[in-house]
Amino acid sequence: MKKPGHLFRWTTITLFCLGVFLSTDLQGKNQSTGQGQGEQRADIIIIDGMTSWGELEKPSVEFPHDAHTEALAIEKISCDKCHLKKNESFFPKFKRLEDKDRVEVMNIYHDNCIGCHGEMRLQGKKTGPIECDDCHREQKLYVSSRQPVGFDNSLHYRHVEVHEKKCEQCHHEYDEKTKKLFHAKEKEGTCRYCHKEETQENRLSMRISSHIACINCHLKNQEKNPLNLPVKCSQCHAPSAWQKIKKLDPVPRLERKQPDMVMIKTGDEELDAVGKNRMNLVPFNHKAHEGYNNTCRVCHHQEMKKCNECHTLGGSDAGKGVNLELAMHKKDTDHSCVGCHAQQYKKNKDCAGCHQFTPATARMSNRSCEVCHIPLPEGVELNDKTAQLLLDGRPQKPDTYRQEEIPEKIVIDKLSKKYEAVDFPHRKIVNSIVEKMGDNKLAAHFHAEKATVCSGCHHNGPLTKQPSGCASCHTKAFNDKDMHKPGIVGAYHIQCMECHATMKIDKVGCVDCHKEKSPQLSSPRNKGKE
Amino acid sequence: MSISRRKFLGWMGAAGLATSFGGDRAQAASTKEFTGHPGSFGVLHDITRCVGCRSCEEACNTVNSLPRSAKPYTDESVLNKKRRLNSKEYTVVNKSVQKGSPLFLKIQCNHCLEPACASVCFVDAFEKLPNGAVVYDASVCVGCRYCMMACPFEVPTYEYDDPYTPEVVKCTLCAPRLEKGQLPGCVESCPTESLIFGKRDDLLKVARARIEKYPERYVDHIYGEHEMGGTNWLYLSGVPFKDIGMREDLGNMPAPALTSGALHVVPMVVSLWPVFLAGMYGMAKRRNKIAAEEKEKAVAIAVEQAESKAAETLSQAMEKAKKEKENILRRMERTRKKAAEKGLAKSSETKSEEGA
Amino acid sequence: MSEQKNSPAQGMAGVASRFMKDDNDKFSPLATLTVIILVVGTILTILRFTQGLGAVTNLSDTHPWGMWIGFDLMCGVALAAGGYTTSAACYLFGMKKYHSAVRPAILTAFLGYAVVVVSLLYDVGRPDRLILAYPFIVQQGTTSLLFEVGLCVLLYLTVLFLEFTPIPLEWLGLRKARNIAVKLTLVLTIFGVVLSTLHQSSLGALFLIAPSKLHPLWYSPYLAVFFFVSSIAAGLSMVIFEGTLSHKALHHRMGKEYLEEHPPLVLGYAKAAALVLFGYFMVKVVGITADNNWHLLPTPYGIWFLVELLGFVALPCLLFAVGSRNNDVGLIKFSAVWTIIGIVLNRLNISMIAFNYHLPLEERYVPSWMEIALSIFMVTCLILVFRFIVTRMPVFDEHPDFRETHE
Repeated sequence: MKKPGHLFRWTTITLFCLGVFLSTDLQGKNQSTGQGQGEQRADIIIIDGMTSWGELEKPSVEFPHDAHTEALAIEKISCDKCHLKKNESFFPKFKRLEDKDRVEVMNIYHDNCIGCHGEMRLQGKKTGPIECDDCHREQKLYVSSRQPVGFDNSLHYRHVEVHEKKCEQCHHEYDEKTKKLFHAKEKEGTCRYCHKEETQENRLSMRISSHIACINCHLKNQEKNPLNLPVKCSQCHAPSAWQKIKKLDPVPRLERKQPDMVMIKTGDEELDAVGKNRMNLVPFNHKAHEGYNNTCRVCHHQEMKKCNECHTLGGSDAGKGVNLELAMHKKDTDHSCVGCHAQQYKKNKDCAGCHQFTPATARMSNRSCEVCHIPLPEGVELNDKTAQLLLDGRPQKPDTYRQEEIPEKIVIDKLSKKYEAVDFPHRKIVNSIVEKMGDNKLAAHFHAEKATVCSGCHHNGPLTKQPSGCASCHTKAFNDKDMHKPGIVGAYHIQCMECHATMKIDKVGCVDCHKEKSPQLSSPRNKGKE
Repeated sequence: MSISRRKFLGWMGAAGLATSFGGDRAQAASTKEFTGHPGSFGVLHDITRCVGCRSCEEACNTVNSLPRSAKPYTDESVLNKKRRLNSKEYTVVNKSVQKGSPLFLKIQCNHCLEPACASVCFVDAFEKLPNGAVVYDASVCVGCRYCMMACPFEVPTYEYDDPYTPEVVKCTLCAPRLEKGQLPGCVESCPTESLIFGKRDDLLKVARARIEKYPERYVDHIYGEHEMGGTNWLYLSGVPFKDIGMREDLGNMPAPALTSGALHVVPMVVSLWPVFLAGMYGMAKRRNKIAAEEKEKAVAIAVEQAESKAAETLSQAMEKAKKEKENILRRMERTRKKAAEKGLAKSSETKSEEGA
Repeated sequence: MSEQKNSPAQGMAGVASRFMKDDNDKFSPLATLTVIILVVGTILTILRFTQGLGAVTNLSDTHPWGMWIGFDLMCGVALAAGGYTTSAACYLFGMKKYHSAVRPAILTAFLGYAVVVVSLLYDVGRPDRLILAYPFIVQQGTTSLLFEVGLCVLLYLTVLFLEFTPIPLEWLGLRKARNIAVKLTLVLTIFGVVLSTLHQSSLGALFLIAPSKLHPLWYSPYLAVFFFVSSIAAGLSMVIFEGTLSHKALHHRMGKEYLEEHPPLVLGYAKAAALVLFGYFMVKVVGITADNNWHLLPTPYGIWFLVELLGFVALPCLLFAVGSRNNDVGLIKFSAVWTIIGIVLNRLNISMIAFNYHLPLEERYVPSWMEIALSIFMVTCLILVFRFIVTRMPVFDEHPDFRETHE
């Protein structure tokens, strides 16, 4: 080689470039694989508030709040080490009441965090980091497992009890004129009436206001109360802590002058007048439904108003365009009556066996309308008493035919090829279905007619005592004139097996229903008994 | 050159055209969209209905006279391990547990509308029949296995253990049975109608209707409707298809479209490359010729210059010689004159001496 | 020179003994190794054709193409690109000074393609049907890129054979036939370049059908271009490398013209290779950019891709440039070897390493020792035939009887 110097230089440069390229990429790789591997904690607060002034210069900081609370508790230092007070209450933000400008907020964090950590370090105590990248970490140490905590009716009642029904201790409203908070008795609503996701003008966000209210009250009453009132993040926000919260059963009713029974009206006075309503008004058992749900918000959204205030007949902006008809009948939501009831029978395995076959597109039968829209007897007034009367008049138990009217056994033998005929225990199955309905009110109201139970299997036909058999409609498979309808073999298997699977009935293997004809060919199998 | 250039280009063009326009299936890179042979058949596999009984496997084995498997088809332990298609099985059922409950997926050839295997086979051994089946002709297969490379569903398999007459093995949609008016073996044996057979268009309607009727039961996607340009085998599932090992990243482009660009370049290369190369050759030759000419010219000039210079030198020399000659002559003359005068004088002297 | 005038019959007779023995008529270690390879290769060949592919290879239904396609075919064709690059440079682009390199390059290419075809006979399931040219005679799958590759390789092999014929014809002293063959040179060269362009690029385009199986960093709609451009670099490097190798072993067989032209040829080729590799690097970058695959670089496959791109494309490009600038033949030879390794790496990446990247490791393909042994067997046979020809026929030198007849 003539000029080894040249070669050396170029090779070095190339290798250097290669090195830089690879190392940057390796870093990138670590970053991408480093996600989601840290310790799970419910107390992680991501300090990234400065994003409101533009992009962060460094990665956001993960702040384990409980770790700090615990560390300070050992030192017997109170919350005011970090939190300022406003109206005698600790304010959730760190060392400030509001965010003025970027530099100031940044300095508050840097001065106080590093200052405190440094001080502790000087005293030789175990403490947090003081180097930039130890807080501003690209690769996060933790995974937040924080879950929003619910304030259900049980917890609410326990607070009612402790506060001796002094609702004003928590509930308030804002008077525009006096610019003061006041308490409107028996008109209490949820916090979310006013406290929204984000702070708006003088209305604090739900997050800040709830922490001010709950934690300050808990702190003040900590000593008085024998119970360990939760003040740490993980005591409310970790799902594991929820089991420790005592549940009342049954939950005593909330007292807010809500009706027990009520006629649901359209809100249109003319239509709601006696004799004028085109659709029978629905009597509604409000009291019973309070027990079915653990918060009022399941039906009432954020505000405790009557349905028809927002969901008017024609729909309104307040009701987000959802008119009264939809609000009551929309199927794919759990806010509406029909939607919620549909959820009940699809979720409950005892119901789902039959009801899983109900298509989402199916029209409700005219008969089912009258289960809720009960015809009004003549000469009664539209009041809550009438509602009570109508509701009590509904069937309270499901009904079906007498035992001797139900065929006991049906032998399915026309199809047997590889397997022997099936002895189908028809009556046993009917009885079992009726039994599983038990005293479920919803089931009772809708299965009052004797043939309704039959229609779980004998679908798509009239409700009669002698409905048509499977082979009336299901014949040879894959008829190109009606590709939607299974053939007879498919129909049996789909109906029986899917029902068994859904109802968690352990008989889904072939020989659970029919014996194999020639056992020497292959051994009997039994799926269900794995 | 012994062959005329025109003849040569003709050959090249023929070779190129043969490779690019010969096929009737290479229509992918046009605005035309092939949506399958009208009325072609297919199968809809509703994964939510499959109970994993393996009746389809058994039926497939029987109707196709495949080697009997060692374990009986009732042995469900087979399902615990993920299996792939192989040269002894046209179809296999795999179990995967999703959210605690088992799901069963039957795999076999999907019978693409525009099959990758058929588009890449260099002996045209695969054929998409009008009834929807993609069938294989073992009598021409060379065994290059490009079909196996190309198939996005990893369907075709090979009899590696057969030393003399190995064949590619894959599901035929029971094309011979279809011709006789019979159902595919697997479909016929399925007890739950997890497999339904019919015209592809009808099956799509059935699948759409099921999704619409039971939106909570199905994901809103019919696998095979558009995948790789569409397949005659369609799937419905209650969980995302990728969770049960079906690739959702295949795209909707039919396989032939992937290579049509490269194929279309061929005639261009065949037509233009010789022109370019001949041009390069011509330029190189001309460059050399010009160089040679210039050299010649330069030599000529040099020669001329040399010659003229030589001539000049010569003429100068001649002149000089002439002058010199003249000088000499003049001198000689002068000498002669002098001599003459001298002689004259001398003679007169002698004369006088003689006279004296 | 005296050996060169041996009659073919004499030459044939001495083949076997001469192949295996070195000059001292003793078995050198290298010769011993050669014998072992040939014996093992022969046994494995018998095994392959009596017991089937399954007995010899690790090929599976998921990995239908293995070592013999990835190495023998893909790399063999790429490395035989010296034939068309050199003949094009000499006959078409007027670089007459490379004339002496054409014959060795053509010979290498011819033998390379022959090995490719023989390897394919091992690889396909029905070699009998390949010999009978089923795809061209029985039924034509014209929508297949493999059809195009096959047709081009077949035609190109013929072209190479015709280009090669003057060598044995001179050796055999058949002047008339030889002159006809020489006259065909220009046409054959053009034909050869066209065919090479087509099949070199189509070899890459074979993989266009499998975007779901080939890792996106290697898969690109420009695969055909990548293969074509890199084949030029491979061809140039192979000529340099093979010249060097032959120099060591066959110096005494080389004519004056060859020996004089070789050093400038190496420099010229180095310049060309630097340029081509730079172009190749650029199109590869364009490939990543076009598919916007930058985000895939910081993954294990991405790092491996960078090793190939920077270590085996950018680096040899730079080294070639430095080498040709500094007249550093040693460096150029090193770069040539480096480039060849790089191209082999690229072909193996595409056909094997980055192929089926989505599958778990235990389902991936690793060639069996028998596949590797048979590949080595092929290469050994190639070297032996090459040696046989160059030691007898006028390849590195000119036949004294035909010295003045070429253009």
